Amino acid sequence: MNPLSNELLQQTLKGVFRLAIPEITLIGTACLLILLGSLYNRRWFGFVVAMLGVIAAAVLAGTISTPTPPVLTAAPLVPDAAAAFVRWVSLISVFVLLFVAWGEVNRTNAAEYYGCLLIVAAGVSLVGRANDLVTLFLALELISIPTYVLLYLPVRTRSNQEAAAKYFLLSVMTSALMLFGFSYLYGLTGTTNITAIVDTVTNANAESLSPMSLVAIVLIIAAIGFRITAVPFHFYAPDVYEGGPAGVIAQLAVLPKVAGFAALARLLGLVGGDPTRIPFDTGSQVPLLLWILAILTMTVGNVLALLQDNIRRMLAYSSVAHAGYMLMGIVVACSIPDARSTLKAGSLIGPSVGGIDALFVYLVAYALMTIGAFAVILYLSTPEQPVSAIDDLAGVGQSHPVSGAAMAICLFSLIGLPLTAGFIGKLLLFIGAFTAPSDTATMRNLYQVLVVVAAVNAAIGAYYYLRVLGVMYLRTPLRPLTGSRSVPTLLATIALAGATLFFGVYPRPLVDAARKAAPVPELPAAAAAAIPAK
Amino acid sequence: MDNISDIVASPGTGRVLVLLLVLLPLLAAAILPLFGRSARRAALLVALLHVGLTAAVVALGTLYLTEEGTPGTRTRTGTAKFSPTFVPGDSGGTQTSDGRTRWTLMSLSAIQPSGGRAGPNVQFFLGLDGLNLWLVALASLMTVPAILVSWESVKERPGAFFGWLFLLQGAAIGAFLSFDIILFYAFFELTLIPAFFLIGRWGLGSGRRDAARKFFLYTLAGSLLTLVGVIGVVLTNPDPITGLITFSLPDLMGNVQSNLDDAHRLALAGDSTKLDSLQNTQFWLFMALMAGFMVKVPVWPFHTWLPSAYGESPTGVTMMLSAVLAKLGTFGILRFVLPLTPDAAIVYGLPVIGMLAAFGIVYAAFCAYNQKDIKLVIAYSSVSHLGFLVLALFAFNTEGLSGAVLHMVNHGLSTGALFALLAFLLDRYRTTQVHQFGGLMGRFPNYAVLTFVLCLASIGLPGLNNFVSEMLMLAGLFRANNPGVKGLGFAIVAAFGILLSAWYILTMLQKVFFNPLKEPEPVVAGIAPPDVSRRECFAFGSLAGLCLLLGLFPQPVLDSIRSDVRLLTNVGESARARVNRVALPLPNSPDPALTEPAPPAPKGPGVVPKGGKGGNIKGKGQPGNKAKALNED
Repeated sequence: MNPLSNELLQQTLKGVFRLAIPEITLIGTACLLILLGSLYNRRWFGFVVAMLGVIAAAVLAGTISTPTPPVLTAAPLVPDAAAAFVRWVSLISVFVLLFVAWGEVNRTNAAEYYGCLLIVAAGVSLVGRANDLVTLFLALELISIPTYVLLYLPVRTRSNQEAAAKYFLLSVMTSALMLFGFSYLYGLTGTTNITAIVDTVTNANAESLSPMSLVAIVLIIAAIGFRITAVPFHFYAPDVYEGGPAGVIAQLAVLPKVAGFAALARLLGLVGGDPTRIPFDTGSQVPLLLWILAILTMTVGNVLALLQDNIRRMLAYSSVAHAGYMLMGIVVACSIPDARSTLKAGSLIGPSVGGIDALFVYLVAYALMTIGAFAVILYLSTPEQPVSAIDDLAGVGQSHPVSGAAMAICLFSLIGLPLTAGFIGKLLLFIGAFTAPSDTATMRNLYQVLVVVAAVNAAIGAYYYLRVLGVMYLRTPLRPLTGSRSVPTLLATIALAGATLFFGVYPRPLVDAARKAAPVPELPAAAAAAIPAK
Repeated sequence: MDNISDIVASPGTGRVLVLLLVLLPLLAAAILPLFGRSARRAALLVALLHVGLTAAVVALGTLYLTEEGTPGTRTRTGTAKFSPTFVPGDSGGTQTSDGRTRWTLMSLSAIQPSGGRAGPNVQFFLGLDGLNLWLVALASLMTVPAILVSWESVKERPGAFFGWLFLLQGAAIGAFLSFDIILFYAFFELTLIPAFFLIGRWGLGSGRRDAARKFFLYTLAGSLLTLVGVIGVVLTNPDPITGLITFSLPDLMGNVQSNLDDAHRLALAGDSTKLDSLQNTQFWLFMALMAGFMVKVPVWPFHTWLPSAYGESPTGVTMMLSAVLAKLGTFGILRFVLPLTPDAAIVYGLPVIGMLAAFGIVYAAFCAYNQKDIKLVIAYSSVSHLGFLVLALFAFNTEGLSGAVLHMVNHGLSTGALFALLAFLLDRYRTTQVHQFGGLMGRFPNYAVLTFVLCLASIGLPGLNNFVSEMLMLAGLFRANNPGVKGLGFAIVAAFGILLSAWYILTMLQKVFFNPLKEPEPVVAGIAPPDVSRRECFAFGSLAGLCLLLGLFPQPVLDSIRSDVRLLTNVGESARARVNRVALPLPNSPDPALTEPAPPAPKGPGVVPKGGKGGNIKGKGQPGNKAKALNED
């Protein structure tokens, strides 16, 4: 029988478009916007059309039911819980970013700016649900290509130009690297479907570790490392963050990270399947590599941020450091198979934090505080008087009490003080790393070491964030900032700071959503029911 | 009790009051910045209202804590747990309570345990027991003089200043009342934010920004390690039956003890590997937990943030820092370190931390003697006294713990009052340099009297508050029978510290008040500054009065803390038994004090006054009474 006439297979392939309707809406809106932009390019017009597109996408995402494809090993897209989480994060981020961008969009670039922003959001959302190497690669390029345009749009100075060129060249190179890795995976397994690849590699590696699969995953980690600004792939970040427009950087600091971590989790088999059966468990040394990457990233990011006098460069290194914290979540998730094996030996309950759920919480917290910080910078900058040095913020606490307070909340959240979302993210990551089993041969108590290193790093980080706070609140302004009149940007900062506080005080909705997206393997219901009886 | 008082004194009322104690300052912090010139009046009103609420809570609380007297009793399984009353969100009715809350902030498992146990949830779990009742009262009380002494001196944006001050108070009270370990940590860290802004913006000297930053970073660095310790304790002590972790302190305490007791039973049967590994883990957790608390107290050599922070702060803030925030460190040891890592506290408490504290007592005393600024004399004296307090905590016995709890309140009162007194000089002369003053006795007779009373209270004169608690703490140190502690070394160092405190405080008094009259240029040139105003008289006088009151009638405080101290003493005893690898002495005995080796009651009081402050003849009768009063119950 012809395998292509299989009814389930056909159903799977036909249902693909249904799974991507919101993304198609976003891209359609973007195309329309760019077309119309050649006729009528105004800020308010671009904003309204883009906003309508985002709202339409959100409504469609909320209403269309998405049945799981019957043949997962053939489906290019999967609508699982993690995919839904990433989709909502990207939709809400782009919704906020539209407001933030108001301050730097003008009548020459409105349509292109907003259009590109929508395409990036569609790309991030697609990365979350891509279940095929080709789809994944295309989705990642959907993020990169509009970003080149966004970085080039307002090119006025040499540093703008440098930022755009640097990002373009390095991004192209990492794409090639990623394709190289993908080609190995295809060669090994004969398929481009991620579910099938993960399954095949898991079974193969359970017998004996395949060195070619290691080469492939290392190449892929390197390529994704560029997007999440992991050390040593972070070199572009400070220059790009310094030279690029603040609104674009807010996007660049957050959305590629969301996409990168979602792709990494998917490729490592940590979401979307059985998290206890992953291709690269601790026996394969890949978690150890990620462990080293996490520690390097957070330490280098924090130490170099200490030396910066430019606030954008400082935030660039800080975003590197936060990528290091988030890598902890991936490292921890790789330990779940070990946790399950020790589970059989003694204790009755699985780990309380699985790693990916903590990572998702941290991603949301990170998005709130980072977009918030860049939005404040954007709000306070004017073309005549840009905010670049930390000292430019002197006295902002008094001259701009509202945006100053929003910045302070974002900075406290970046430090990780309680009552902010950043604390909840750190707490869950720490708990996750502490829950990981410390009796396996390869990792031993390295997870606990990771927590201590992260705690020390958080203390180092506090130093440079506090410096900004000190400048803002404890000094009088040298040359008072006038501030732009971009009310939407201000509204966005207030909303972001408010959300940071809300999730810090009452984290339950966020934590529950993240745990739904990346369920922590728990005991089967029957065993759980037996506990109280014991 | 008749009907009305039944309703008024029901747990339901207590729950609302406890919640208000935290919410009122937070609310005030949000609203006060909107007030302009009238902010200080509004602030005073809020503070007085808060004191009123606290008085109600104290009245209700003492009723419950002494009447029921059950919290300290051991349960059937042999685990001792804190049992808070007045828990907001209590799952019991208005008349009954089970000391648990239903207000969950974050849940880490879909599996929820039966029987109302907290499970892996972070909860908004506040409550009152003997250990925190008086500290809450202290935090509430100290705000009033802190506002009064800032009355004139804070001119720049008083609304914001008092707002931050209330946030500081609210966070401290929240930390004292927390029974959820993460909630405690959140409040503990929250204190940093108001302190940072208060020191950095309203500080006195040019170094205020550095002082604020140093304070923030030091404390944060320490407390991040404490967070690691907290998570470690939670995760290494799951419920022995269900395996669920918990963040609720009473449940966690139960888990810690039942895990240790199981291992102890195995060890007594000959297999000590499990106990060894548990105690080994405890060492690391103990060190991580202590990191934050040692910085906060501070214990030498982690005190280096203190002189600049205390020196640069405005007086009202210094008062709050020394009276309330420093107590967060010692309270953290009492509430978390001792019950959660008891074995490590027995083994390493006195020998390691105690060594640092003992060295700190003497070192800080000499530093205090050598300071040129009165503010720094008091700051170092505070370090010295708190070292003593830490020693007493780690003695981990009835006298030491009761003395320590009482001394937290007393030290807060007297040190806070001493800093408050400096506001008088600062308002008039803008300086507190010792060498610029002399003979103030004749110049400000009323001020001099108040200063003498409070200084003598700080030294520990019998009849004043510090005397009682210092004697109890010394008695605790004399009786310290922790393994690894030989002889009376710590007690002698502590007693020597009291002697030194008399030396430097009296020297300072002599220089400032008794030499020929010498005063710097007053703030308003040409007009001789007046003696204490009515406002100042109220601020200093009330504190002096409280010092006297607590010195003469400490019994109500001791009564209400007794059951909780007994509970902790039980924990300490089991830990000693485990460390010594011997069986626990009769767990069902009603009073541990009776089963302990005969207390050296005659020795304690007999030696103490001699070491304490040579020549206090009047004191001879009292220490015996107090110590006996405590041993008799």
